[in-house]
Amino acid sequence: MREKFKVQGSSFKVLVFVFLLPTVYCLLFTAVEAKVYIDISSPAFKKLPIAIPEFSGPSGKEISDIIRDDLEFTGLFLNIDRSAYIENPSQSFNPRNWSPIGAEAVVKGSVKEERDLIVIVSLYDVFEGKEILKKEYKAGRELIRPLSHTIANDIYKTLTGETGIFRSRIAFVAEDEDGKGIYIMDWDGNRITSTGLKGNIILTPRWSRDGSKLIYSAERNRQWSIYLLDFTSMTERKVFSSKGTNMAGDILPEGNDFIFSSTKDGNPDLYSMSLKGDNSARLTSSHSIEVSPAVSPDGQCIAFVSDRGGSAQIYVMRRDSSDVRRITFEGSYNTSPAWSPKGDRIVFSGRRGATNQIFIINPDDTWLTQLTTQGNNEDPSFSPDGRHIVFTSDRDGFKGIYIMRANGESQKRITPKNLRAFGPRWSPI
Amino acid sequence: MKKIFVLVLILAFGLILTGCPPRKIVQPEPVKPVVTPEEVKEKAVEVKPEVRPEVRPEVRPEVRPEVKITEQPLVKAEPKEVEAPKYIEEKVVFKFEDIHFDFDKYDIRPDAKPTLKTAADWMLKNPAAKILIEGHCCEIGTNEYNLALGDRRAKATRDYIVALGVASGRIEMISYGEERPICTESKEEECLKRNRRAHFVVLKEAGK
Repeated sequence: MREKFKVQGSSFKVLVFVFLLPTVYCLLFTAVEAKVYIDISSPAFKKLPIAIPEFSGPSGKEISDIIRDDLEFTGLFLNIDRSAYIENPSQSFNPRNWSPIGAEAVVKGSVKEERDLIVIVSLYDVFEGKEILKKEYKAGRELIRPLSHTIANDIYKTLTGETGIFRSRIAFVAEDEDGKGIYIMDWDGNRITSTGLKGNIILTPRWSRDGSKLIYSAERNRQWSIYLLDFTSMTERKVFSSKGTNMAGDILPEGNDFIFSSTKDGNPDLYSMSLKGDNSARLTSSHSIEVSPAVSPDGQCIAFVSDRGGSAQIYVMRRDSSDVRRITFEGSYNTSPAWSPKGDRIVFSGRRGATNQIFIINPDDTWLTQLTTQGNNEDPSFSPDGRHIVFTSDRDGFKGIYIMRANGESQKRITPKNLRAFGPRWSPI
Repeated sequence: MKKIFVLVLILAFGLILTGCPPRKIVQPEPVKPVVTPEEVKEKAVEVKPEVRPEVRPEVRPEVRPEVKITEQPLVKAEPKEVEAPKYIEEKVVFKFEDIHFDFDKYDIRPDAKPTLKTAADWMLKNPAAKILIEGHCCEIGTNEYNLALGDRRAKATRDYIVALGVASGRIEMISYGEERPICTESKEEECLKRNRRAHFVVLKEAGK
């Protein structure tokens, strides 16, 4: 009997092995399909030297400058200054004009203006002396920036194999003489537009995963309510209201439910509810403050702020409220958690000394890294590719919105000096 | 047993040959330089399965069909009308002093107790009066946490007054977090500590 069992056991192993083999075989060959010029996931990647001559034709300079700035901000490209170029824009591409100045990729383009702007763009691989992308784009004059960002996205995709973020947007709160309102701008701070949504206090705009909705909270006539803005119809709908303080947290990935913080039962606790207003569930019930819930990209975990240990700290729990663990142990005031798109990092604002700074940590409380040092820095959130972070800072003497790479490099303000702006959230796409 | 085993093996090899999803044909072409010569060494085992047509510099690929860039214009949304509040601020009556709190704390300090006693006494003498307690914070920290903290401060204040005999239904609460500081001149502690407060407003029915 024992003997027989053994035979069955080993043949079962063989069985598993032979059935696994084709899977491994398939995986192996899918992994090597596309050529990648910069392996951006490698920690030792080398910046790709790129040349982007001014495009010919109307608005050619503006378009090629936007593309150059987009690519340069990623930190993955080494932009070769136009003054070094040998080939003039009217000549056709010749790799011998580019390899002496170190360019490995060249972007050339021409613009025609008819009813629309029509741009023809070519991307060249200097080593192989060949064109690796050629495409024609068309857009109304007023969409010159989205047009240029689309071209930058295609170039980025061709060279890195990854999807670019150059058409993503940022929702934020700004204050003018009429009070506070929700605004939308391009990721680079251009085209700031008011949504028309106001409140005595309005805060925490949070995107749905498909980018079609925003959830936020507002205090109007001494009433804190949570609202939903639908971009397709540009209509606002109240999704939750009660006595007390109600603050939007996050829309869950499936898009039907949201999580929020409310004092409706007396204490700041976390709840979930459907956007239709039913299926309310209580996620925490303690005598402490629970606030700022943020759902992980896979929808399985919730990061939040609690003072249950005596000071404001960041905790992570499963969506069903089980398995609560504290992830911040340094400092006595850590708030505003936001997940990276892969769910492998959490960015937050922590108080050190007399200022608030942005930190990044793994959800298992390892690899704590400080990213900012100047002024007070708050409200961090990731770009859709996880490579950048947007946040609020008062380092220039007033509150404004800043972006940086996820390693803290290239910090810059993107909102103008005369606009008091805060609470930014990067769109998910 | 052995027969079954052989059969399984045959089946499995059949699966290897047919089991993969349809894919691009992997050309057994020689390795081409990938960006830098150093990288070629590392990637020597990689086969380049690109099915792009081989293009010589002088032969240009077809211009791909044009992409029309569009964008939904962002029209202004109309905020929902909010119900008019039932009670509004009564400005002329009794003026309560603010009470203050320690940083990131919401427990009632001993120095606040006389003020709360005065407030409770006034409430008991004026049984028709309603009040609103506003919870406020200093600007340190994040809006959301401060709104929760302001809520706790308002609630702690209300609970104290209720414990002195005032009906809880006569006290409304709201948190303004760090959004409505009374001292904005500096970021020094002297100024910040004045903002960590509970503020009292006497209410009257709207329209009266």
